[in-house]
Amino acid sequence: MRIGDFKETYAADEALLRTPPVRFWMAAFGVALVVFPWVAGDYLVYLADLVGITVVSALGLNLLTGFTGQISLGHAAFMGVGAYTAGALSARWGLGLWLTLPAAGATAALFGVVVGAPSLRIKGLYLAMATLAAQVIAEFGFVHLEPVTGGIRGINVPPARLGPLEFSTDRALYAVIVAVAALGTWFAANLKRSAPGRAFVAVRDRDIAAEIMGVPLFATKLQAFALGAFYAGVAGALWAYFMKSVTPEHFPLSLSIHYLAVVIVGGLGTVIGSVFGAVFMTLVPEVLRGAASLARPYYPEAMVLLSPLTDVVFGGLIVGFLLFEPHGLAEIWQRTKRFFRLWPFVH
Amino acid sequence: MRRRVVAMAVGLCLSVPALALGADTIKVGASQPLTGRFAFAGVQLNQGLADVFAWINQNGGVKGRKIEYIFEDSGYQVDRAVAVFKKIMAEHKPPMFYGESTGQGKVLAPEITKTYKILYGSTSFSSELANPEKYPYTFVSGPTYSDMFGVLLEYIAKNPKGSKPTVAFFYSDTEFGKDPIPYARKKAKELGVDVVAEIVTKVGAVDVTSEVLELVKKKPQYVIIHGFVLSPIPQVIRGSRDYGLDISFMGTFWSMSQMIIDKLGEDADGYMGINPYAYYYETDVPMIQKIRAFNQKEHPDVKHRPNSYLQGWFTGMVFAKCAEICLENGWELTGDNLVKALESIRDWDVGGLMPPVTFVNHKVPVGRVYRADAAKKRFVPVSDWIRLQ
Repeated sequence: MRIGDFKETYAADEALLRTPPVRFWMAAFGVALVVFPWVAGDYLVYLADLVGITVVSALGLNLLTGFTGQISLGHAAFMGVGAYTAGALSARWGLGLWLTLPAAGATAALFGVVVGAPSLRIKGLYLAMATLAAQVIAEFGFVHLEPVTGGIRGINVPPARLGPLEFSTDRALYAVIVAVAALGTWFAANLKRSAPGRAFVAVRDRDIAAEIMGVPLFATKLQAFALGAFYAGVAGALWAYFMKSVTPEHFPLSLSIHYLAVVIVGGLGTVIGSVFGAVFMTLVPEVLRGAASLARPYYPEAMVLLSPLTDVVFGGLIVGFLLFEPHGLAEIWQRTKRFFRLWPFVH
Repeated sequence: MRRRVVAMAVGLCLSVPALALGADTIKVGASQPLTGRFAFAGVQLNQGLADVFAWINQNGGVKGRKIEYIFEDSGYQVDRAVAVFKKIMAEHKPPMFYGESTGQGKVLAPEITKTYKILYGSTSFSSELANPEKYPYTFVSGPTYSDMFGVLLEYIAKNPKGSKPTVAFFYSDTEFGKDPIPYARKKAKELGVDVVAEIVTKVGAVDVTSEVLELVKKKPQYVIIHGFVLSPIPQVIRGSRDYGLDISFMGTFWSMSQMIIDKLGEDADGYMGINPYAYYYETDVPMIQKIRAFNQKEHPDVKHRPNSYLQGWFTGMVFAKCAEICLENGWELTGDNLVKALESIRDWDVGGLMPPVTFVNHKVPVGRVYRADAAKKRFVPVSDWIRLQ
């Protein structure tokens, strides 16, 4: 039970981590993140990298769809633009992370602004269609802009570099991914409680009211698109280094939908929801598959039946979560925290 | 009492495989596309590998050592497939691995070359992967798509339906579809085959009127279709029949399964293509007889096995052969030695499943042209084995 939590200065009231327990757990989590690659096996590090990339990308989509209410079916395209930018820059000119990551984000943001331009006039399902078109156009571009994208065979991406450092293994790349994910989360968390972030939410909740209050609608929407696409572009760049190759097949429409599922399951309009969604959507299928593979040594034939079943179970889990907690895992987390705040007393 | 019986049964189930798989098994890992859009073949590829290893183990294993097959579903998604690879490598450290796609092979290549150093085969016939300089540990268990075009073009050059042989390439707008085209253009030129048209379409296209009209205009004698599994192949063939065109349509490996004959029915008559392995119904082939006998024993209700199953079976034989060569020479089972073994294979008799096998640049550039017989509902060979130089 937490008591005696008083704020005596404005600075204390404005802190991101406001109570000692929160600071303690965040520090513990930070230490765990640092220790992790030294103790975990290759497979776990690989999954952690995958989760990290998903977190970065999901944060972007959550800013755009969760906070600003602009539905996007083009998130995979934004990631693709970033991935190709980073891939091309490092494969051709051997540029380092300092340049490729921001460049990937910036290119994707530019593309995002173009895609987001119709959002002033159209909303909801109509906007979904417009972003869907962007996805299709981008996919076409990846295949046919051969001088830049390498066409259907894509680009083989050399290891990420940062000055003298080379991040060629998953374990080395883990450092980059965690750093970017942490930075991205920190930025999003702060954005949420500042004027631009509140403007996003105002636009989402009632755009006309927001405009009357002096929130520039068009600029805010474009900002959200640029920011969401920036995150996606950076995530795409990390993906390119992580997979060591970029081909058009890495960024299909189904990936865009996957990311929508990530933010919905995690919790729309929450920063921590993006993290939870990424962890859930990446790890649960792995856990299910791991469980199915336990049967392998004894009934190899059963595996063939169990494998499709894991997808069914996964789908069922998503539906279940949405039915019992439409606000996603973030809300379940909040409820759990509330429960323990007053534990063992109930009010 | 009943509980005890159950407990004993469970105990037995748990202990039998543990006993059967001793410490000195030869491990082969696999990420198989058991779900997703490639599942139609993945399930069969997986069964082929599982069965060939079971068959080898029943016949005394490789120099007395049993093969342990460790597979997991990868859903035909690159990130999942790589996850499966890393997981199996971490848990079991197999010296040989079977991948699910061209994409996975490309993504894993740098790490396999640098860190893992294992013999890597896959479902893929991509020409890009059959390149020992760039992918030293990867092999293609058959001809590449380029080789398949090569074999078909050689057949066309020898069997023109006029003064000069003409052909059109009809391929999909995917990596799979475009892979062999540059080579095919060059090869056609060398052989004096005129490429009168190149038509590119989406996978699964339904309306192919404009493509068919293009064929009406150019009137090629042969059309090589590549990069599709089913649609739009039946639509194109039916469409051109409706226009009364006398075109021989030809397919490559994935469009040479029983599925296409079943789908086309009467119209299948005359459809041709290349297959690098003997078909399941070629009962005069010794290896096919063995495979059939094994299936009759282990899977009595299975009547047919498609060519993807035989790809799995053959790839399994390659893994076992490489391991055998290593053991014979007293080499340790490492990727480098296995690759050395693969490269040392000369005229290996595989019981007629393929002609005597020699790996050239980590692939087997050989195949045979088959023709569909709609009445018998099967493919019959119309050429001998064609080996590319």
